[in-house]
Amino acid sequence: MKKYLQIFKLSFQQEFAYRLNFVMWRVRNILQIILTFFLWSSVFKNPETSVFGYNQEKILTYVFGILILRAIVFSARAVDVAGEISNGDITNFLLKPISYFKYWATRDTASKVLNLSFSVVEITILFVILRPHLFLQTNLLILFAVFVFLILAVILFFCLLFITNMSAFWMPENGWAAQFLFIAIITDFLSGGVFPLDILPYTFQKVLYSTPFPYLLFFPLQVYLGKIAGLEIIRGLVTSFAWVFILFMSVRFIWAKGLKRYSAEGR
Amino acid sequence: MDRAIVVDRLVKNFEVTEKEKGLRGSIKSIFSPKKKVVHALRGISFTIQPGELVGFIGPNGAGKTTTLKTLSGLLYPSSGFVQVLEYDPWEKKPEFLKQISLVMGQKNQLWWDLPAIETFELNREIYEIPRRDYEKNLEELVTLLDVGKLLKTQVRRLSLGQRMRMELVAALLHGPKVLFLDEPTIGLDLIGQQKIRDFIYEYNYKKNATIILTSHNMDDLTNLARRVIVIGAGRILFDGALEELTDRFAKEKIIKISLSKEIDIKEVEEIGTVKYVSFPEVTLSVPRSTVAVAAAEILQNFPVNDLTIEEVPVEEIIKKVFRGELNK
Repeated sequence: MKKYLQIFKLSFQQEFAYRLNFVMWRVRNILQIILTFFLWSSVFKNPETSVFGYNQEKILTYVFGILILRAIVFSARAVDVAGEISNGDITNFLLKPISYFKYWATRDTASKVLNLSFSVVEITILFVILRPHLFLQTNLLILFAVFVFLILAVILFFCLLFITNMSAFWMPENGWAAQFLFIAIITDFLSGGVFPLDILPYTFQKVLYSTPFPYLLFFPLQVYLGKIAGLEIIRGLVTSFAWVFILFMSVRFIWAKGLKRYSAEGR
Repeated sequence: MDRAIVVDRLVKNFEVTEKEKGLRGSIKSIFSPKKKVVHALRGISFTIQPGELVGFIGPNGAGKTTTLKTLSGLLYPSSGFVQVLEYDPWEKKPEFLKQISLVMGQKNQLWWDLPAIETFELNREIYEIPRRDYEKNLEELVTLLDVGKLLKTQVRRLSLGQRMRMELVAALLHGPKVLFLDEPTIGLDLIGQQKIRDFIYEYNYKKNATIILTSHNMDDLTNLARRVIVIGAGRILFDGALEELTDRFAKEKIIKISLSKEIDIKEVEEIGTVKYVSFPEVTLSVPRSTVAVAAAEILQNFPVNDLTIEEVPVEEIIKKVFRGELNK
């Protein structure tokens, strides 16, 4: 376990090695929050307006919630896996007594911790300045459920990301494209990152709920907002767990297949 | 254990996609990729004893690196048998990985943005090296390779030679018993090369480590390797002592004469190929089988002060190997 702790520490140092990059990244985050805030505040100028069951308070909570959830679920270093496979850097790990998954899980965790701790500070400051009307969930049981869904979301996204990246074993040149299309566009869209999924047609929603995507952002947030409760939570939990299992097995299977194809190129 | 490495009829094929040149070719290859099978290794066999230092030589693309990668568990053999320290490399058992190291001259494991010492510390954890052994190994390696002052410098700021030496430290901290070195001196200046060579020699000698070395650097081979394996087009062409390479492949011998009077060089050319003339010295090469007759003829017909018959230098043979001019 100590080896992964060391990797955790190094990841932090690595992030800070490019100080300007880091600062710019934070600035971008803050700008993003401010922009979304003003956008949605002006759309819902009248606090009484309600679209698809969202009033100003709920929609603002939704967008802020998405921002925070994205910071937790989607911030991942494992996007570099495809690159490591196609340029052969993965060789370094295959030669050592270390698990490649645990290595990336550690680096992802480091990235998330870093991202989250800065986000908390930034959001607190912005909260004080902007004083938005947000919905605060006080039910501890619901908060606990949200926490469980969040953990599941992180695992689900990690598996999806790894599967996408492992396509580089077969198509070393296409790693970036696959990633952009799948992660940046499809996943973000299907998980509710662009707009709330419950404004979609009902049948479409139903199909979507049997895929892993809504459980990345939308579902945990709905639970937080109190829009999903009781039996639906259980159903969501079962579906998430099933997907964690399926994706985890797929990762292992594809990894074993990919390694046999691997030709340690670039030397 | 009497054999550190066993390779038996190892075959490795790769499937590669070929692209035609230009944009049209690229587009075409999206829809109908042309697959081609490359036969990197066509059934090679050899064994290596513990403590041996073996040089792998051959032209580019002969299969040297493929062999090293298979031996270290990176590549899955298409067929055949591979065993290193009585492990199957492909299984990548931690106990196996803790005893080997693969150093590739153009690949780095050091964390680019951090000082080298950070990677060393990480390797200490990864390989679970006890603190005391780690301190001892680090001290020893750093002294041998003369990099003590650079440990806290960001890796990106090191020169190529300094970085290569750091790579060696990182690769050897866990004291591997089997070491695969792929072009360890590539791109280094003469002093840098010498440092690395001395180090490899020491490491092999002191730790009784088994080492396989590939190199296009003549000095690496003649100074380090007692045994060489020549690979060409995925097959083993020769396996034996470096000196035997000459007996086996030199079709000629070298006659060196020292003349007492200037002569018309054309007359000598009828006896053998003239390699070098600088009066009074003349060097010519003649077929092995006729060397005695040629020598007698020279002594009889020319004013000769001195005559010696020598083997073709091993460097010449190795050069031929690199050019892919050797056949079985």
